[in-house]
Amino acid sequence: MSKLTFSPVMQSPLHHFNLNANQQPIDTSKGVWANEITLLGYISLRGNAQNVLFTKAAKKALGVALPILPCSLISASWGYIYWLSPDEWLIVCARELHAELQQKLEAALVGNHNQVIDNSGGFTTVFLQGKNASDVLHHCTVYDLNALTTGKVVGTTFGKTSVFLHQHGNGYNLIFRRSFADYIWRYLERSALPYGFGIANLGSS
Amino acid sequence: MSNRVTHKHSRVDFSKPLSFTFDGKIYQGFAGDTLASALLANGVKTIARSFKYGRPRGIVGAWAEEPNALVQIDVGARTTPDLKATQVELYDGLVAARTSGWPSLAFDLKSVGGKFSRFMPAGFYYKTFKWPSKFWPLYEDIIRRAAGYGKSPIEPDTETYDHKHHHVELLVVGGGACGLLAALLAGRSGLSVLLVDDQSELGGYLLSMPNMTIGGLDAATWSAKIIAELRSLPNVTLLERTTAFALHDMNMIQAVELMQDHLLHQARKSEQRRERLHRIRAAKVVLATGAFERPLVFGNNDLPGIITASALATYFSRYGVVCGNNIVVLTSNDLAYQSAVDLAEAGIKVTIVDVRESINLAWAARFKALGIMTYMGYGISEAIGSSEVKGVQLVKLNAKANVVIESGPLIACDVLASSGGLSPTVHLFCHDGGRPQWDESKLAFVVSANARANAGIYCVGAITGVFSLCEGLEKTFATMFELLKSLGKKIDDSELSLETDEITASPARAIYRIPTTAKAFVDFQNDVAVTDIELAVRENYRSIEHIKRYTALGFGTDQGKLSNVNGFAIAAEMLGKTIPEVGTTTYRPAYTPVSFGALAGAHVGDTFEPRRYTAMQASHTQFQAEFETVGQWMRPWYFPKAGEDMHAAVNRECLAARNGVAILDASTLGKIDIRGKDVREFLNRIYANAWSQLAPGKCRYGLMLNEAGMVMDDGVTACISDTHFLMTTTTGGAAGVMSWLEKWHQTEWPELEVYMTSVTDNWTTAALVGPKSREVLAKLCSDIDLDKEAFKFMDWRDGTVAGVPARVFRISFSGELAYEINVDASYGHYVWEELMKAGAEFDITPYGTETMHVLRAEKGFIIVGQETDGSVTPFDLDMAWAVGMKKPYSFIGKRSLARSDTARTDRKQLVGLLTEDPNFVLKEGAQLINSENTTPPVPMLGHVTSSYYSAFLGRSIAMGFVIDGIKRRSEEGNNIVYAWADGKAVKAKIVSSVFVDAEGARHNV
Repeated sequence: MSKLTFSPVMQSPLHHFNLNANQQPIDTSKGVWANEITLLGYISLRGNAQNVLFTKAAKKALGVALPILPCSLISASWGYIYWLSPDEWLIVCARELHAELQQKLEAALVGNHNQVIDNSGGFTTVFLQGKNASDVLHHCTVYDLNALTTGKVVGTTFGKTSVFLHQHGNGYNLIFRRSFADYIWRYLERSALPYGFGIANLGSS
Repeated sequence: MSNRVTHKHSRVDFSKPLSFTFDGKIYQGFAGDTLASALLANGVKTIARSFKYGRPRGIVGAWAEEPNALVQIDVGARTTPDLKATQVELYDGLVAARTSGWPSLAFDLKSVGGKFSRFMPAGFYYKTFKWPSKFWPLYEDIIRRAAGYGKSPIEPDTETYDHKHHHVELLVVGGGACGLLAALLAGRSGLSVLLVDDQSELGGYLLSMPNMTIGGLDAATWSAKIIAELRSLPNVTLLERTTAFALHDMNMIQAVELMQDHLLHQARKSEQRRERLHRIRAAKVVLATGAFERPLVFGNNDLPGIITASALATYFSRYGVVCGNNIVVLTSNDLAYQSAVDLAEAGIKVTIVDVRESINLAWAARFKALGIMTYMGYGISEAIGSSEVKGVQLVKLNAKANVVIESGPLIACDVLASSGGLSPTVHLFCHDGGRPQWDESKLAFVVSANARANAGIYCVGAITGVFSLCEGLEKTFATMFELLKSLGKKIDDSELSLETDEITASPARAIYRIPTTAKAFVDFQNDVAVTDIELAVRENYRSIEHIKRYTALGFGTDQGKLSNVNGFAIAAEMLGKTIPEVGTTTYRPAYTPVSFGALAGAHVGDTFEPRRYTAMQASHTQFQAEFETVGQWMRPWYFPKAGEDMHAAVNRECLAARNGVAILDASTLGKIDIRGKDVREFLNRIYANAWSQLAPGKCRYGLMLNEAGMVMDDGVTACISDTHFLMTTTTGGAAGVMSWLEKWHQTEWPELEVYMTSVTDNWTTAALVGPKSREVLAKLCSDIDLDKEAFKFMDWRDGTVAGVPARVFRISFSGELAYEINVDASYGHYVWEELMKAGAEFDITPYGTETMHVLRAEKGFIIVGQETDGSVTPFDLDMAWAVGMKKPYSFIGKRSLARSDTARTDRKQLVGLLTEDPNFVLKEGAQLINSENTTPPVPMLGHVTSSYYSAFLGRSIAMGFVIDGIKRRSEEGNNIVYAWADGKAVKAKIVSSVFVDAEGARHNV
């Protein structure tokens, strides 16, 4: 068979909003600034946190220990590890790193019951900042943001769907499933309207 | 504006005149007015006609208790019916209209009937329009036209609304004196405090009693000081124009904030909300909701010009409006005295009629000094006047019993204010099950300050039956001390003095109605008179809940805020019971009406419901897809070309899939990755069929049953390796199946080593279908051997498609040669476009769910949720082949399949149906019966589940359930049924449900 040549193109879940065409440097003209952090790598990991062999092997592969405390997250040089449930984590990194990270993890965990899945196509992240960022989220989620301290990640409601949410810098990161992206972005836009909503230039955040 | 007075406490800004329209006439008012205060200032007395009798009605109250002044505000898309004029803030250009009175306020047609009101007692409609019963729809139409207030907007709402969630340590409901004090003490202690108040300005009834001094300051200065301090505290939030209308379990309070309706039209911002629904979760709640004054009941007490004494005080003190020049105040207590004094001081002639025998000396001295005439021991039997009050007939009352001893003088007046005491606003306290207690010393249903402290609910002020300001403030202090102490907080009372200059109140007299022979109304909004309650009791209604429903007492937009306690007391008197024995009706949310817009919030338009999209959405839109919603997913339904209707499009799409190549977006199917050494055993238990032998590289269809043995989901599962399977589920069932797997694993089989994770969103799936599909795929895929022997039906292979890593399944839901190509969703759109390009030479045809349904029906494949409804076993579906009864361990539902009912052979079973007329498409849902004779009783054998026109076969096809259908299928002479729908019974033959290619030749190529 002849070798075929192609130029594959990726699209993020919020691609159709053409956000970067409307982005501006963050200033005080808007109460809220947001944008999609597109096309990150997402690895779903499951394993027994009580099993020292598993946690040790995971630590060896990832360079940092898995967060074991409920609703905690760990920031690593390459990204984040989010605790999702007692035996479930979401690992987020740059897309170019995820294959290597996943291979390392799979290799290290051989022999320990586990599940490592590339879920990169299934998620996206939106960051939100500005003086009214918390106000906007209080329109979207029932979660008490006062309780969302640094180092904490929660899976909570967002309109009629759900997101993972954590503080990031002086704002928030929202991590959610691809298929809900359109709804979540529109809901965010609608909720932010009274405060002024800007598409943030990522470089300025 | 003859009814205006200026005084230093008035809250209206006389430097800002406004004009507004009521019922087509232009009037002047001022900034700070309500519509009601401005109408009263203009001398407008009649603003409504009553519900049943068409009697003229005026403004009675000053706030949410108002029963009569329901007005239509604004026009067009912004129009809002049935706002209370007492709660509508005036702005320049406001347009208001009456909501009752036809043809006009001056003459109402119903008032003609009203003259015969003794022939229209409670239950009149039920009793009169009962016969003949078939005429009821006609009666109802006429009655409904005559009844009701206002008009709903018919244009789409152009405003926006939203919801906001709050989590606070303390919520204070009510910004009167006690609420402000509670918020201040809590705020000073450092608690996060939210205070909500329903008015445009904080202060509550202090705004109506500005001459009172607290701690040596006049009331306005005292509250301004506290408000300023509250605003300075970063841990305190004040929300004005915000009505807490519901208190739910766990102290979740809902409150609606009016954000823009008080503003000039031009000042309203399109990006701002009209209303905001606040959902407040509070660790502790302080209810400082105050009380409403109830009027006394007497003859013709509904004449315009008759108001409550507190409303009289409010209009005078807060709005600088004197409602008349010759005022009579009728009272059973001291609370009405202050307003009498205030008005007399302003030079208005005031006469007091007090049902009690004696008067407090301090008040007597003040009345004397001001020339206020007093009639002690008198009541008013009836008000005189036809369109408004002109005078009152006094009667001398027995000092103890509520009986008239002799007639008294007739006094002329233009306003009559009455006070029968205060009724605490206990609504929120009662919403989640709390009950108020009758306090005979206060003549009120009250709640205790800390009876619900365990639930975190505390009460302060008039709601607790404490009607003296000084005592209210002191008890608020004590309650807050207790509350803060329970939280380990200290109270800070610096610079707080709570002494007032009130005159000690004398006891009130327990009297609710004054005997009269004239019509005396209890509930104005529903025209419930004393005689209606009498009638209800005479007709043997005993429970107050029944009396309420028979008479309509306490119904309507005011929910009986003025009338309920009078109604309970009058019912008690007639039943020969005490008031606590009669009790109250049930207080339910909402405290005041809430707009649909506020309740909907952001759940409207494109954020009404999550719309889930696949990565290929842009292509579908480009191809003019019509969409249908499946499990929140927007799935292409069909792709009409110009001039095509749905049938034409579906026929074209079906033929393309059978004869050429077509493409379906199958991304929405649920996908669950399952791993671990026990994965085969796990699947053996979850699915009805066996998974032990499925080799890596192979796929198998599985049926999932619930514990009852009924089919709950289906799909194809692939063996990736001995410890790794990929399950697919139905689109709508994905989340439920995921939870189902976790539930069984976690609760029943934790010993099985498996983990499962949803990968539904990670993969997009393009199903390439049709005889030409292999040729299309070959153009994009060089690293998978597509040869029919190398890559067989029900195999899967890893490789690349259009340069993207892909997992390709050779499975088919159409019966055609087909490949389902799965790629990382980030590449989904790209790969779809490449497939479309590659297929262009074969006229590749995108198709939607409708064609998918036809293709699968031609093959007799079921759709879970269409052929199944939770009462269908695999055997009912004639799918015994998908049940592995010999598996060593049981599977979910196996035991239930042995129940006598599920095991019997004459259940409703799925069969194919063919009509005699090949062009007649049976109606889905049609009942299947044995004969075309439809004279009842007709035994129902089953129903049609799926029915389509098959372009490929050139005729209609259908599937359905028939009792004993599998046997009847092959019984010549017994294989005819009739499908009954739309009044017709259509003959159909029971056949196999596989209409196309029973031997599978088409997909094995």
